[in-house]
Amino acid sequence: MAQEKSVAVSDFLSKAELIKQGAEARVYRSEFLGKSAIVKERFPKRYRHPVLDERLTHRRTVQEVRAILRCRRAGISTPVVYFVDYTSHCIFLEEIMGSLTVRDHIASIQQSDSCKEQELEHLAECVGHILAKMHDEDVIHGDLTTSNMLLRHGLEDGESSLVLIDFGLSYISALPEDKGVDLYVLEKAFLSTHPNTETLFDKLLKSYRASSKKSSAVIKKLDEVRLRGRKRSMVG
Amino acid sequence: MHLTKQLELFPDHRVTQMLFKDVKNAAELRQSAVKGQISGALINPKMLVNPFQVLVATNKSVHLQKTGKMKTRSLYSEIIFSLSPTNNISEAFKKFGISDGDDSVMVVLVHSRDESQLLSDIAAKVDGLQIPVEDVSLLSDLAKIKKLYKVTPQEEKCGTLLDAVVCRMATKDVM
Ligand SMILES: Nc1ncnc2c1ncn2[C@@H]1O[C@H](COP(=O)(O)OP(=O)(O)OP(=O)(O)O)[C@@H](O)[C@H]1O
Ligand SMILES: [Mg+2]
Repeated sequence: MAQEKSVAVSDFLSKAELIKQGAEARVYRSEFLGKSAIVKERFPKRYRHPVLDERLTHRRTVQEVRAILRCRRAGISTPVVYFVDYTSHCIFLEEIMGSLTVRDHIASIQQSDSCKEQELEHLAECVGHILAKMHDEDVIHGDLTTSNMLLRHGLEDGESSLVLIDFGLSYISALPEDKGVDLYVLEKAFLSTHPNTETLFDKLLKSYRASSKKSSAVIKKLDEVRLRGRKRSMVG
Repeated sequence: MHLTKQLELFPDHRVTQMLFKDVKNAAELRQSAVKGQISGALINPKMLVNPFQVLVATNKSVHLQKTGKMKTRSLYSEIIFSLSPTNNISEAFKKFGISDGDDSVMVVLVHSRDESQLLSDIAAKVDGLQIPVEDVSLLSDLAKIKKLYKVTPQEEKCGTLLDAVVCRMATKDVM
């Protein structure tokens, strides 16, 4: 599967502004076709076999753009895809201007003296509702954290202000088990990132439950997965 | 009137769009394009929402040309193909290319620096009235566009029609 990487794209990225260097991907900001864009570049991992690495990286790129389109079709906000380069594994996306991650938003509310409890609850409900909608489309995100949700600037409330991102580990599945694990991953991340938010997370789940007809089977699986997690941590 | 934009990924490539209405020689133009006498893509403006749509198609086509992955025979036919939400080449030409009876046309040219000669050559060939490229939205057949790109009503709540169209174009290879 060896193919020529696009020279144009790497030249372009060398002049773009790097905003995040992750373990799997670099995220850049730059103008593209006259618009503000975000470029997500998945780079090769040297410790993996090159052929296997190429295949995995390609798959992540494909999964990301597929999930984005599937979500948008269902009315779930995700960044618009402008262009995909499958030779250098880059996705060019709409930049959600002046956005804030849900993680940063929660942290800043928690830090402010007048802790706006209601605002947090409303946000949690929005997240629960969107995730129920996503699961009803059988999209499993695969990496749910509060860093992978953005809030559009100036619209800190309201559901359309919530934008889901980072779908590289996503896949399609109708199984309640997969959806339950998706929520379990979020619960783990949520409670460890944001201390003392057990009641807030309950609000999120309550909203999830109320938003989807298929939710009871998912919550049942979530309970099972939690139990398994607890047993595993007791064993070792 | 025309709109010229440099491609950020390919700095030595510029894209120029020229829009004409009240066109009387669409059949003749189409013939010239088929024979390779017009070095440009002739697009049906009714299928365009915004000039940005053409930029997305052109950027993708130049990229595929550079990486040797075009699905059609020339850059200009690739631009027409890239506008389509499906991988059916003949359907793409039917919907996004011009037909003999059309009375409007968007001409897309890809060039390096100086384009003035190129532009006047094209303008001389079109028997029609040149209008600002931004006015393409006045010619769009929204119902047809929504149907062809299969845009859902929910989708229009979380973004514009242009967003929906561009997203389909950019991702069609893996759908
Ligand atoms: N479309 C966008 N608009 C604005 N900011 C964005 C956008 N996409 C990403 N970002 C910013 O970049 C950060 C990282 O993006 P993302 O989560 O997609 O990459 P990542 O976590 O490095 O990916 P991976 O988990 O696959 O390694 C986000 O938390 C956000 O702050
Ligand atoms: Mg992330």
